[in-house]
Amino acid sequence: MRHRLVPLVCFSLLFSLVLSAQTQQPMGGASTGAPATYTSRRTTGITDPSAPVVFEDVTDKTALANFRHRSGEAAKDYIFDTPSGGVAIFDYDADGRPDIYLVNGSTSAAMRGKEKAPRAALYRNLGNWKFEDVTDKAGVANERWGFSVAVGDYNNDGRADMYVGNFGVSRLYRNNGDGTFTDVAEKSGVARKGWSTGASWGDYDGDGRLDLFVPGYVQIDLNSLPPRPGDVGKSGVAGCQFRGVPVMCGPRGLPGEGDTLYHQKADGTFEDVSVKAGVHDPEKFYGFSSAFVHVDDDKLLDLIVVNDSTPNQLYINKGNGTFEEIGYPSGVALNENGREQAGMGLAVGDYDNDGRVDFHITNFSDDSNTLYHNDGDNSFTDLTFQAGLGEVSIPFLGWGTSFVDYDNDGWLDLFVVNGHVYPAADEHQWGTSYAQQALLFRNLKGKFERVGAPPGTALANAWPGRGLAIGDLDADGRLDLVINNLDTKPVVLRNIATTSAHWLGLRLIGDVAKKTPKDAIGSVVYLTAGGVRQRQDVLSGAIFCSQNDLTLHFGLGAATKIDKLEIKWANGSIETFDVPAVDRMMTITQGK
Amino acid sequence: MKSWMKQFLIVIALFVAAGVVVAQEGAKILAGAELTRVVPTAFYFQGLSAPTQMRNSAAARFGTDRYVISGLVDTSGYSADIRAKYVGFLITDSPITLNGESLPSGAYGFGFPTEGKMTVMDLGGKDLLSVPVTNDKALRRPRPLMMSADPGGVRLYAGKDYVVIAAK
Repeated sequence: MRHRLVPLVCFSLLFSLVLSAQTQQPMGGASTGAPATYTSRRTTGITDPSAPVVFEDVTDKTALANFRHRSGEAAKDYIFDTPSGGVAIFDYDADGRPDIYLVNGSTSAAMRGKEKAPRAALYRNLGNWKFEDVTDKAGVANERWGFSVAVGDYNNDGRADMYVGNFGVSRLYRNNGDGTFTDVAEKSGVARKGWSTGASWGDYDGDGRLDLFVPGYVQIDLNSLPPRPGDVGKSGVAGCQFRGVPVMCGPRGLPGEGDTLYHQKADGTFEDVSVKAGVHDPEKFYGFSSAFVHVDDDKLLDLIVVNDSTPNQLYINKGNGTFEEIGYPSGVALNENGREQAGMGLAVGDYDNDGRVDFHITNFSDDSNTLYHNDGDNSFTDLTFQAGLGEVSIPFLGWGTSFVDYDNDGWLDLFVVNGHVYPAADEHQWGTSYAQQALLFRNLKGKFERVGAPPGTALANAWPGRGLAIGDLDADGRLDLVINNLDTKPVVLRNIATTSAHWLGLRLIGDVAKKTPKDAIGSVVYLTAGGVRQRQDVLSGAIFCSQNDLTLHFGLGAATKIDKLEIKWANGSIETFDVPAVDRMMTITQGK
Repeated sequence: MKSWMKQFLIVIALFVAAGVVVAQEGAKILAGAELTRVVPTAFYFQGLSAPTQMRNSAAARFGTDRYVISGLVDTSGYSADIRAKYVGFLITDSPITLNGESLPSGAYGFGFPTEGKMTVMDLGGKDLLSVPVTNDKALRRPRPLMMSADPGGVRLYAGKDYVVIAAK
């Protein structure tokens, strides 16, 4: 039977050439249909004078206005110039006020030691919107090509530590408890090389110690870079195109990078168990975001990985140190039409208050973001368009995304940070732009509507957004946002939404002796008030290379009392607690 | 042997033979090692060779030795106009039909430049035939490219759209 087949295969292979730079594809190379020409940009200048003012841009009133992100050159010749960087909101000094860490990129010249490397920055929250730059004292400037930050108290000492994912060698900043950090990545065995993106902490094996998952994106050899857009046409260089325009190459056509799972041993060091656990990503998809999260709601943390231009992966924890990948059968790998999308960011939350976590994944322009509803039994349905998130997101290139109950009505709203990767977007009628407005969607009990932007207000601005983090920076019961923007200053958005709705903030402290991590990552809170049962997870990572404050925030609507507060701790034990009053921050310790 | 018995046995033999032929022509969707053994890792089309997306490849065997192989490729090296019409390849080692339209043995490119239609091209990019696709709204978990059994042969799916491939 081979005699017919072999010549034909040979026939096709006869013409096969050694793969060259010509086969490289721009970021977001998943097919998104025929490109259209537009007479207007649909990602900037969209305003609504009748819309409420939800956020105030207070950046320039804070020290964060002095931060300048930088990643490569303005031309964005290479793929590593474009995705940085993340941001974390976390209380590093345990004073009750969430602080801010901004990841910075770098440049090829800095990588070669020919110029000063851009610096990441840590801002201590002094209250009343005053922030102090404590980067030098804390020793967390990174000065490598930074992309991501994930927060977790890996050594269970009550102080939040940071994993900073770099293009190069990543860092584990151990919090010393005196305002300083020490990079212990090498010593601890997590000094990952390559291109590390959106990491996540989680105790997947139930030993009470946080483990670490780090996606890998693309393998880059700085000594053998793909052709730049400006090189196209020179000496026969074909380069890469987007809509017929020369652009940077990748990720398609570039070699992907596997993912890494580090298991924390009893001595506080880590071992690479990626292959043994079955999460090493042998096909080397282009990983961007990840999160340890309870998908099937057993006692074991599962894992989702969002990949650019390749299928997403959903790993179900089998409880024996291994995972089963069910991306395709679960429905999470692709969108409802069976198409691979250019996954960037990841929001995790129970948006319809049915007790199960759902996912929202951001994608490339000319494609919609995707909302995966968790139907139970490890099955998801793409409800993007039914939920009102489809058409509106198509012109945007999305990055950081997070569910956030900005109006405290008890239903998780949705925020999306956007910005294109090709500067040429501003020079052509693609219907999109390099800097883009962020998107805020209000949750109307399971359906979403875009919240308009009054002219001249924060949401009317366009930014080259990337990372996003959420936390109540001024302790007023309304969630604020920080956006890390590519090659410019960040944005601090103060929530000034007019609302009389009530709220409750919860800080959880796990009992390490009972094998719950001290920071309670992996714990789930179910809160019932006003006839609505909400769920929130203590989560590390997700968003896009960023970290939300680990404090959980529940909007209560008109409810002034909590009917039930149930916590399923990371070790699987369940406790209920009385809540004496609302509109306050509350710290709950396991077993007390 | 009596002549009627001879005729009876001949008829039986013909039925058995026909049954064997039917069995040979029955389509089997290949998987695992059988699939990777036949799918080329790269494919030439219109001046370039591009890598196959192995995860998005499929093949079927008609009978014992007739193969139809298809896969999506990374098309980035192509100009925008070629990318608009070309997404993958179709290789057949014997004549087949696509939704009833004849296609001789050979290696082809294909794509969906017109909504609702699959266009098959020669390796130089010349259109050879265009057939309407059927949208399978009930398909629960579509893939970028896959094959499944069909009473008339096999279905070649791209997402929820499919054409029926039959051996000639």
